[in-house]
Amino acid sequence: MTTSTSPALDSVAAEQPPVVEDNGKRRRFRPHWPSPWHLVLIPITFILLVPFFMMVATSLETLPETRTFPPVLIPHHPQWSNYSHALNAAPFVRFMLNSAVVAIVVVVANLVLCSVAGYAFARLRFFGRGLLFGVLMATLMVPFQVTMIPEFLIVKWLGTNVWAQLGIDHLGALIVPNMATAFGIFFLRQFFLTIPVELEEAARIDGTSRLGVLFKIVLPLSLPALSTLAALTFLDSWNSFLWPLIVINTESHMTLPLGLTTFEGAHNTQFQLLMAGNVFSLLPMLLVFFAAQRYFVRSVAATGLKG
Amino acid sequence: MAEVEYRKVTKRYPNGVVALKDFDLTIADGEFVILVGPSGCGKSTALRILAGLDKPTSGEVCIGGAAVTKQGPGERDIAMVFQNYALYPHMSVYKNLAYGLRQRKTPKDEIKKRVFEIGEILGITELLDRKPAQLSGGQRQRVAMGRALVREPQAFLLDEPLSNLDAKLRGQVRAELKRLHHRLGITSVYVTHDQVEAMTLADRICVMNQGELQQVGTPQDVYEHPANVFVAGFIGSPAMNLVPATVADGQVLLGGYPVGPAPHGYADVVVGIRPESLRIEPDGRPGIPVTVDFHEPLGSHALVHAFVGDASVGVVADHPAAVVVQADADISPHPGQRLTLTAEPKHIYLFDATTGAALSTDQRARVAASLTKPAQ
Amino acid sequence: MASAAAPTDAPPRRRARIFRRLSRSENAVGWAFVTPATVLIGIFGLLPILWSLLLSFQKSDLLTPETPWVGLQNYRQIPGDATFRLSIENTIVYTALFVPGTMIVGLVIAVALNRKVRGIAVYRTAAYVTMAVSTINEAIIFLWLFDPSFGVVNSALHAVGLPQQQWLSDPNEALYVIVMMTIWGWTGFAVVIYLAALQGVPQELQEAAAIDGAKRFTIFRTITFPLLSPASLFLVVWLSINALQLFDEVYLTTRGGPLHSTTVIVYYLFDQAFQQFNAGYAAALAYVLFVVIIVITFIQFRIGNRFVHYSR
Repeated sequence: MTTSTSPALDSVAAEQPPVVEDNGKRRRFRPHWPSPWHLVLIPITFILLVPFFMMVATSLETLPETRTFPPVLIPHHPQWSNYSHALNAAPFVRFMLNSAVVAIVVVVANLVLCSVAGYAFARLRFFGRGLLFGVLMATLMVPFQVTMIPEFLIVKWLGTNVWAQLGIDHLGALIVPNMATAFGIFFLRQFFLTIPVELEEAARIDGTSRLGVLFKIVLPLSLPALSTLAALTFLDSWNSFLWPLIVINTESHMTLPLGLTTFEGAHNTQFQLLMAGNVFSLLPMLLVFFAAQRYFVRSVAATGLKG
Repeated sequence: MAEVEYRKVTKRYPNGVVALKDFDLTIADGEFVILVGPSGCGKSTALRILAGLDKPTSGEVCIGGAAVTKQGPGERDIAMVFQNYALYPHMSVYKNLAYGLRQRKTPKDEIKKRVFEIGEILGITELLDRKPAQLSGGQRQRVAMGRALVREPQAFLLDEPLSNLDAKLRGQVRAELKRLHHRLGITSVYVTHDQVEAMTLADRICVMNQGELQQVGTPQDVYEHPANVFVAGFIGSPAMNLVPATVADGQVLLGGYPVGPAPHGYADVVVGIRPESLRIEPDGRPGIPVTVDFHEPLGSHALVHAFVGDASVGVVADHPAAVVVQADADISPHPGQRLTLTAEPKHIYLFDATTGAALSTDQRARVAASLTKPAQ
Repeated sequence: MASAAAPTDAPPRRRARIFRRLSRSENAVGWAFVTPATVLIGIFGLLPILWSLLLSFQKSDLLTPETPWVGLQNYRQIPGDATFRLSIENTIVYTALFVPGTMIVGLVIAVALNRKVRGIAVYRTAAYVTMAVSTINEAIIFLWLFDPSFGVVNSALHAVGLPQQQWLSDPNEALYVIVMMTIWGWTGFAVVIYLAALQGVPQELQEAAAIDGAKRFTIFRTITFPLLSPASLFLVVWLSINALQLFDEVYLTTRGGPLHSTTVIVYYLFDQAFQQFNAGYAAALAYVLFVVIIVITFIQFRIGNRFVHYSR
């Protein structure tokens, strides 16, 4: 109840309830610019990124330029044609498509299957829940090298006896074994446990089925965790090398890392082509990384903090 | 000699916010001074500048007669208790207390002696082996104080040390702080937003608002002679009633009732009367007319909330001013009841409606005197 | 757990029946939800683990369906295998350099990045970026950087007056090049972990230490670093596990050479299984590696927990 006849009074009234801490203000201010720390940060960043710079520089040089010593750091005439040569020398687009198909299907499958399973482990009571969870988590401890040989044999068997697409030298063999991971189940279960049970109980009282609760209540609230898992799974799948190496032989079925390796083997003295191919294959992942940076960082930090 | 001086200290941030403006304050050796005010008033900024955790944009800070503005926090021989205690979680209580002494290369037996001494005084000797996570809030607070005191600093800084404690503990620790200060006599600068803490603990209070010092004085001084409406409304609980009044025929009128002579040259004034100074006049006797809104019985007394003005005579303004009256416990007026109030002239304060400054000559003289040197 | 909708005023026998029906439906729903993922992990995770054990007792070349049982022969062959012993040595040397190296580099950069300077987000992104690089990209870049004839590194040495090195073609140096390459690749990861941990250290603690008279580096050594110990332990364990399983970078650069100087355990395993067609032996080697990883991880946790301070 302030009156306009007394501005002094108005200011008093406005101050009355002390709310936020004085300290809160201090943290909001923006520091002086420029800061001397840039002198430290710039060199460090430069050293970290030198490999990238070299790669890009070389990709635009001519072959003779790459064969000079000391190496040419800035090409005299950027050879953009290196890129088209590289693209012609090996089916990079095909490689990327294969990688993309595999990665996307794996990510979607993981999100769906691990959400459902993770939710069951988090909220549902069923016989053998504890034991099953323990067994699944135990598989995380076993290194890939132990399982890769039998996996190869299993995939071979599936290819001849079930469906060719699942077998050796086919994308199905890259997709199916990775469609659900114990890590994904663990990660999502941990997150689901942090959602207040009351929300789900309220929905169930209203008659929603378990599946409905999952899709209408829990998942919408889990978008950060889901995005993080998606980012992590995508990165893992896209950069995966050993398993595709074991399973795929035909060039047209190769994923990007594998295709790039074959390319490297064929052109390992033509550094300018090699670098062009390398830059080209790095681009998609870099773009995804910049776009989804937040989630990558969070996913790594999450594994670190839980450990 | 551990006198503390702020000389025209200003802190301006790059985004334009002025957290502290021309802050001038002298604190005598052994004095317990409290900076009090609402959030954002600059009190924490002032404390951090004294600690060396923030640098002032201009001005000097002196401790023990020496200018320390350029020195880091570790070189100023001050100690600080943080609001969240900031105990080192990975060290035992003993190590926490010993840390500062170890940094100054104090010999081991000296450290042990002092830690146990402080442990005795604060009653934390049995806790020396434990880690902070194993202590209760009150224990942690004491360890935080111990860590500061064990170094026997020239100045002792406290940043809202009681605000994380529950009400009962707060009262106990307040009493302990007072006893500690009597015993040890270290110059102390204490920051809080709670005026009760300020009133009970301080030798002198500095009331601050929006980066500026509003008034400095003993608790009694600040209570009885507020320099402006802000101080008047901030100190004292329940808060002083501050009501805009009109001036007519050389008299200040509240609800049409004259409450005192109008100071020369002012057309708009604010009248301030503390709830405990207002008396409800028995029926019929003249006084400030009010209409009761509701009342709050508190056992030992009651608080009556009312509006100035008498509805039946039609002098109610568009926004009737509210007042609170502290009355005897057995009074229970009903809503809508009309009462009249009076107060002794010495309890009626006048303030300039535009600047908020206190107007009675008596007030102004006292305020001017207190701002120049510490009251001793 | 009884559903909130269960009628409580029904007679006892009927109540019990309803509860049983509800919990039975929990069972059905529960298993329905879990089955797809479990089947997949079972076929491609559990089954191979068990089969691998079986395989380690057999002789197999992955092509012919006959796999005769040979008992412990595969395991008995291991101690006498000189190349395997060499691979263990190489792996240990690699791990001993890679783990501390990555942690130190990551920590130094994270400390530099832990401040509110304008544009800090750009610097941080730059630090994280190496996480997005796949092993083949990394390998190609470093093959080029360390090329003995035309690489930047040799020319930098030349500029400073130091002799040229053969790097990946030199049996004494190849492994160290791989160490450098992988440290670069993992720096982003270590920076993320340490930065997150650094931001969890309350600023007030450092202020209190400053007031107590500690200098910058002392504050870091006595206050900040101990409080980073959970992150440090995590990094030691995680990086070790990954180091012991090093494969991609070796395959992509040196194929285990020159002269087996970069043959690490997993590379040897891969070679045995898919190039020498000794799948049974490889499976035995894999199980040995598995056990070693578990033991080392366990020891690290035991020792680590004595030094790690979990605040709160």
